[in-house]
Amino acid sequence: MSVNSRLARLLEHPALWRGRNAARVPTWSTGYPMLDAGLPGGGWPRAGLVEILTPQPGVGELHLLIPTLARLTGLAPARWVAWIAPPFEPYAPALAAHDVALDRQLVVRTRVPLWAMEQALGSGACEAALAWVQAARPRDLRRLQLATGRGRTLGFVFRSLAAAREASPAELRLSIAPRAGGVEVALLKSRGGSRERIAVAI
Amino acid sequence: MKASGLGLRAASPDALADVAGPLPVTRRPSAAVAPAAVKPATVTPAVVAPAAMTPAVAAAVAGDLWLALHLAAPASGPLLERLAASAGEITPRVSLEPPDGVLLEVRGSLALFGGVEALCGKLRAACRREGVRVQLALAPTPLAALAGARAPRRRGEAPFRVLHRAELVGALAPLPLGVLRLPQETIERLAKMGVGEIGQALRLPRAGLARRFGPAMLAALDRLVGVEAEPRQNLSPRERYRARREPSYELTEQPAIIAFLAPMLAELEAFLRGRQGSVTALECRLHHREGAATRCRLRFAQPAFAAAAIGFLLGEQLAATALAAPVTACELVSSRLVPRQSASAALWQPGEHGGSLASEAPALVERLRARLGEDSVYGLCLVPEHRPEAAWRRVAALHMAANNRQQAAGSQKASAGAARPQPATRRPLWLLSTPLLLPALGAWPHYEGPLEKLAGPERIETGWWDGRDIERDYYVMRSRAAVQLWVYRQRRAPHEWFLHGVFG
Repeated sequence: MSVNSRLARLLEHPALWRGRNAARVPTWSTGYPMLDAGLPGGGWPRAGLVEILTPQPGVGELHLLIPTLARLTGLAPARWVAWIAPPFEPYAPALAAHDVALDRQLVVRTRVPLWAMEQALGSGACEAALAWVQAARPRDLRRLQLATGRGRTLGFVFRSLAAAREASPAELRLSIAPRAGGVEVALLKSRGGSRERIAVAI
Repeated sequence: MKASGLGLRAASPDALADVAGPLPVTRRPSAAVAPAAVKPATVTPAVVAPAAMTPAVAAAVAGDLWLALHLAAPASGPLLERLAASAGEITPRVSLEPPDGVLLEVRGSLALFGGVEALCGKLRAACRREGVRVQLALAPTPLAALAGARAPRRRGEAPFRVLHRAELVGALAPLPLGVLRLPQETIERLAKMGVGEIGQALRLPRAGLARRFGPAMLAALDRLVGVEAEPRQNLSPRERYRARREPSYELTEQPAIIAFLAPMLAELEAFLRGRQGSVTALECRLHHREGAATRCRLRFAQPAFAAAAIGFLLGEQLAATALAAPVTACELVSSRLVPRQSASAALWQPGEHGGSLASEAPALVERLRARLGEDSVYGLCLVPEHRPEAAWRRVAALHMAANNRQQAAGSQKASAGAARPQPATRRPLWLLSTPLLLPALGAWPHYEGPLEKLAGPERIETGWWDGRDIERDYYVMRSRAAVQLWVYRQRRAPHEWFLHGVFG
């Protein structure tokens, strides 16, 4: 038996955790090949909490999600996509132009986005829930992360870049910075994703 | 009478008796001579027998026995409905004849209630309880029963009771025509012709009658003698749940109120289960010792019947309600009942392969609305409009079930295709609900620093018809923080700049 095959057998041991290969979670493609290549599993997790940190709202974070939302709302038995406490009005004509099904959108205006987010994630009625959160403690995010498992929902939490120093129980955590013709994505926390900054043209 | 002897009949005194006799039933409709096919000119000297009827119609109308209840004075709608409700104990086939009549079909109930006299006595007792004077009449057709009940009766005269069809026309003949409630003009014209009683009107030539007074008059006479069926709309009772309880001590805390309401909700669930119904709205009134009651209205995204679900929503709503004073009594009033739609539970969970939405979507919307308010949760839809702020609309109705999803997807695709903006014009994903005034330094506006123009101008100038006309030049601009903005400049003086959207 060659050294390599022995090594391969050793590596199959269940107690061994290998960074890149660990993420065997089912995913949705983001619609951007560059981003897919960098994310663990090749896309957004199908159920789980993704935290997106931006210097300010509107730098291009929504464009990263639009192909996913279009695909999720186009599924045959599609569930809702909940927009919880968005900073502005989601503009229906632009969403329709990107093939997002408008009859599956649910906009929630609230000053308690965390409660509404937990309800949306845990209810099982949403494919994805997007929440814009000002302040969240790690235990709040932990509740959201658990709710994503209950409802099999993909949750996105948008926060300010200032939150990057806080601990987060989210499955995936990334920061976005605007660049000419697109954005630059850095994975702050991931189970085996790229460590480089990912340039995405949008 | 033979089935073939239906068409024309010589005018003779016993023609009327024939009509009142056994029903003319056609076995083969093609063999019968339909009166409509007969030329009116050829029948002037003859009386046309009432139209032939099919066996099904004959069977449907022959067996019925109608009891009419005529009030001495026109009554209000609620009083009639109360009378109909008490009549509902006798038969389910009760219909209203506003403003002063109620009709019951009682053939099947005669034996059960011990005959005509006992049945009429029971009804009279019910009317006495309501404090109304009534006249009762029995006849094989609804209109004849009504006519009999309406006819004025002298003291000591026997009430109008016709149990068999053979006696009907003879009994109707002496009644004045007015009891049929024909148009006043028709009555007057008939009176001028010397026709004042039903029997005389029945003896008139049908063709001439139809020509002079219209087919409606003929149809009324046909319904009167039972030649034509008269379908009646049965009154279905409007039910709602209403209960009021007073606690032994005054309630001040929301949890105590919810605990006090729990047995009432369980009762509501049992009430709904018994009727296989559900409610679309529920109002909870909390009465105080003085002052107006605190009202708590629940509107359900889908008809509800489970006490647990209703209790949860009520709790959410109560938690958001401020109580002005301690509660001395609680009252629950439901909306009208709607039939319960039951569905089998799905094998798959939503989100699993093959899983779809069942009750989760309405439940989520209800829960969010119960705490955040009706207007805080909404959907989106397109409006074919060029004004950017008017090109979309909030949708409040969010009860989308899984089964109309296919249809919705189809219409969505169609509407998206129709109203989708042209690819040449980019629209931002975010819109500001009110445009933000930007300071202009020199030729270009500033927003957190000078803005750099990327595209534009796109001129939008429309809306003159409703007074909210706009004249704007839209630009796509990039801020110093590299955020793409949708900015417009008003074409009218003072040519101000506004931020209207963010490309996101």
